[in-house]
Amino acid sequence: MKGGASQMNGVIALLAVMAAWEIVARIGLLNPLLFPPLSRILGSFFSLIASGEIPGQIASSMERAASGYFLAAAVFIPLGVAMGLFERVYRALEIAIETLRPIPPPVVIPVAMLFFGIGDGMKIFVIFFSCAWPILLNTIDGVRNIDHLLVDTARTFGLKRGQTILKVVLPAAAPQIMTGLRISLSITLILVVISEMVGSSDGIGYFILNTQRRLKIDQMYAGMLALALLGYTLNQAFLFLSRRLLHGR
Amino acid sequence: MPFKCRFNIAGLALFAALLLLWEFYSRTAGLETYLPPPSAALKALFEPPMARALFGHLLETLGRFVGGYFLAAALAVGLGVVLGYSRVAYSFAEVIIELLRPMPSVAIIPVAILCLGIGDAMMIAVTVYAAAWPILLNTIDGVRNIDRTLLDTGRTFGLGRWRILREVALPAAAPYIATGLRVSLPIALILVTTSEMVAGADGLGYFILDEERSMRPANMYAGIAIVALLGYALNRLFLVLEGRALAWRSGMRIRGEM
Repeated sequence: MKGGASQMNGVIALLAVMAAWEIVARIGLLNPLLFPPLSRILGSFFSLIASGEIPGQIASSMERAASGYFLAAAVFIPLGVAMGLFERVYRALEIAIETLRPIPPPVVIPVAMLFFGIGDGMKIFVIFFSCAWPILLNTIDGVRNIDHLLVDTARTFGLKRGQTILKVVLPAAAPQIMTGLRISLSITLILVVISEMVGSSDGIGYFILNTQRRLKIDQMYAGMLALALLGYTLNQAFLFLSRRLLHGR
Repeated sequence: MPFKCRFNIAGLALFAALLLLWEFYSRTAGLETYLPPPSAALKALFEPPMARALFGHLLETLGRFVGGYFLAAALAVGLGVVLGYSRVAYSFAEVIIELLRPMPSVAIIPVAILCLGIGDAMMIAVTVYAAAWPILLNTIDGVRNIDRTLLDTGRTFGLGRWRILREVALPAAAPYIATGLRVSLPIALILVTTSEMVAGADGLGYFILDEERSMRPANMYAGIAIVALLGYALNRLFLVLEGRALAWRSGMRIRGEM
């Protein structure tokens, strides 16, 4: 039932919540300091966008996010392929990985601060660390689950090892690698916000926490709205790209 | 798998080599302020006053985790059953869910601080919010994917709505719910430690950040080891409990395939 009627219900519910928020805030039923009227939040959202404040904060967050994310992909996809193909490599690294994996990523922030200060390096490292596991484990799984017939066929046709990996193994494992990358995308967004809250002087995570501390509550909600839109856009863009990349599967 | 000995010699050797390299490097290069030797962290772990303090922080963190996780499970399973069962209810909630879901859950921390101050209530609230999502979405999916025959059979046997829910729908959706619960486990731990770092006065997250700021990295690493152990133990415990709780499924699946 994905018809127009059910869509309408959803929109009605959303409008009802928005209207209730506006009314409750206007007549002062809830503390207006905590819940400013929605119209004021939307107003400051648009003025913060027009003034370039929110786009600027998002740009610095995205720079860190992208660096950590792509660095993790560049390191852990090849490592995952190696671990998935060669049992020896897997066994050698297994214990070290299983020891590091249960560490909740935010706890790595203080370590990164020790080494990198509170600059971009710290955030990039934290994102890199937290993206490692979903990418690595999904790549290993994907490579292990490849139909052996494919690899054997490649060998029959005289493909060299490097070519087999590039032309057979990677495409065959691609769907699961993409799963790892998608999980990592949402983790990246979470960790960039956390690390900006704990130690930063810009970025959207810093902006939200700082506006809360300075009691510019309408701006805080505006920042959260921007963050939700950003998350939605990134996820949709990822789905679009992965559909194109995995085309014909 | 070519060799199947359970004792992973290569893995242990590499791990031990890394630790030794760290120990040796940090002692010779004089890196005590950044990278104290692991033996120093280990020593901090076993010094009585330190161990007692760490144990106290561990209990705080564990208490918040348990409170947040179970509250999230109760709320999300309940709501998920309603939204999975009733298309109408889901159609009303859908847009709001899709609007809130893409926002990284940690962004809720400032709102929680504003409304609840900085204390256990705030930390548990953000944990509930973040951990509820995977459970909610998986429960909705699970309830929707229940085989209609099961429900109809229940009805044929004259079971009431409540009993169908308890004895047919919930068990049938259990594997999905378990998946949601498993995904939420590390998320809950992330949110507890993060909120302790951002606005806490105790707990392991606070301890680790505070030791870093006080330039006592050995203690910081000791705290991280404890959090890692906690995460590992919780995951293990979950897998054991899940295996027990869903043991009946494997029997059913085999019969279903035949």
